Amino acid sequence: MVEELLLQEDYQIVDLILIAIALLVVMGLAIILFFYFSRKRIIKSELEKANLKIANQKEVLQATIITQEEERKRIAQDLHDAISSKLNIVSLNANMLSLKDISSEETNKIANSILKVTGNVLESSRKIAHDLLPPTLDKFGLDAALEELCDEVAESDTFQVDCHLDASENLLAKDQELHVFRIVQELFNNSIKYSEATTLSLQTEIKKNLLYLHYSDNGKGFDVLEAKKAKGLGMSGIENRVAILNATLEILSSPGNGMVVTLTLTPSKDEN
Amino acid sequence: MEKLFDILSNFAIAFCVLNAALYVFRFKEKGKAYKIFAVYLVVIAVIQLNASFLKYITPIKNNLFLFHFYYILQFIFLTFFYKELLKQKWLYAVLVIVLGIIAFQFIQSPAMFFRYNPLGVTLTQGFIVVYSVLFFYKYLHDNNEFLIINIGLFFYLLSSILIFASGNLVFNMELITEYGYHLLLNLNNVLYLGLQFLIFVTWWKNYYSKKTIK
Repeated sequence: MVEELLLQEDYQIVDLILIAIALLVVMGLAIILFFYFSRKRIIKSELEKANLKIANQKEVLQATIITQEEERKRIAQDLHDAISSKLNIVSLNANMLSLKDISSEETNKIANSILKVTGNVLESSRKIAHDLLPPTLDKFGLDAALEELCDEVAESDTFQVDCHLDASENLLAKDQELHVFRIVQELFNNSIKYSEATTLSLQTEIKKNLLYLHYSDNGKGFDVLEAKKAKGLGMSGIENRVAILNATLEILSSPGNGMVVTLTLTPSKDEN
Repeated sequence: MEKLFDILSNFAIAFCVLNAALYVFRFKEKGKAYKIFAVYLVVIAVIQLNASFLKYITPIKNNLFLFHFYYILQFIFLTFFYKELLKQKWLYAVLVIVLGIIAFQFIQSPAMFFRYNPLGVTLTQGFIVVYSVLFFYKYLHDNNEFLIINIGLFFYLLSSILIFASGNLVFNMELITEYGYHLLLNLNNVLYLGLQFLIFVTWWKNYYSKKTIK
């Protein structure tokens, strides 16, 4: 009887220990499984992040290549229309001059024509070069270049252009100036192409060491969210430059209400 | 049944010796953590062989003093091992404190040398379990060659704490029978085989296949 009781007690203790060990094993398994699944999840999300980044980079690259091709096409077109065809005329005229039986009156006429055409060609080539990179920007800085841009747009007489520029002289680094200029150029382009606006306005101001650039038109406006979804080349170009500048860009627009764009940027002349 | 367990126990020892040999084989070209782990395996294998030697050849029945070498050396080597992996200096402080506590125990009652030391086992294995959890956390989004070994150490050390801590029950035969005691020890053997298997898997995956590819 006593022995039986003892035996029972013994089993009780052994049982208890076994149960405790089993519990520890289960707990250990649970912890290992927890780490295993967390690990899987973290690695998965990191992979997704990396893929997203790669996709984004691809998009930027593609946009860059397309822009480059478009630009090349435009330059080729310009060269062909404005220079090649006119130089053909010059060459033809020069050929005529080399003929022997030609009166001095005719010679004069041809020479005049050549002079006129070469003058035109010179003007065109100057214009093409200017469109590629305005020398004003390089020589006289952003303010002058922007003013010139405003004047050029105003010249066409389709638009009234208000241009108020706070002196941002020497505030921006050279590459920053170029990016800002390109952004403004693109904004003007968009307005000219799509907005049917009559008044454009450009303003820069410097407040608390920040450069604010306000641009607006009174055109037909657009849905900002949809425009962002259907990123055109011009828009993605602007966004890429804004990202490079580390600036912020705010676009306010809705159908029928024109567009207001504000670019805020920290000048970083010191770093360069 | 008894025989099966005997075979199991011998197999675990053989496996341990095999692992030690495998890890020592490519000792030179590896990192510091690998070297520490290899030395740990060798030391444990030597202790295991010693125990078998005592069991089968000499008439000495009580080989418990070897157990003290086992858990203390295990704690020292694995602390260095995890220090290498976790890069945390406070592991050394823990090492000194725990060794101090155990030394104090031995000074207090030298007779403990021939008994189990529940406190010492719990402290040493418990801390290593903590380290292994920290290791899991550190390598949550990273890969490490010792991840599988870490799983093995975590699992075995956690579940065997109770087995060793309850070891002294065997000296009070009123509380536990020989059978119950053997049951526990064999459970330990099974768990230990699991650890050795994972150590072997690590070697196979990380070190063996590379060698054959080259």
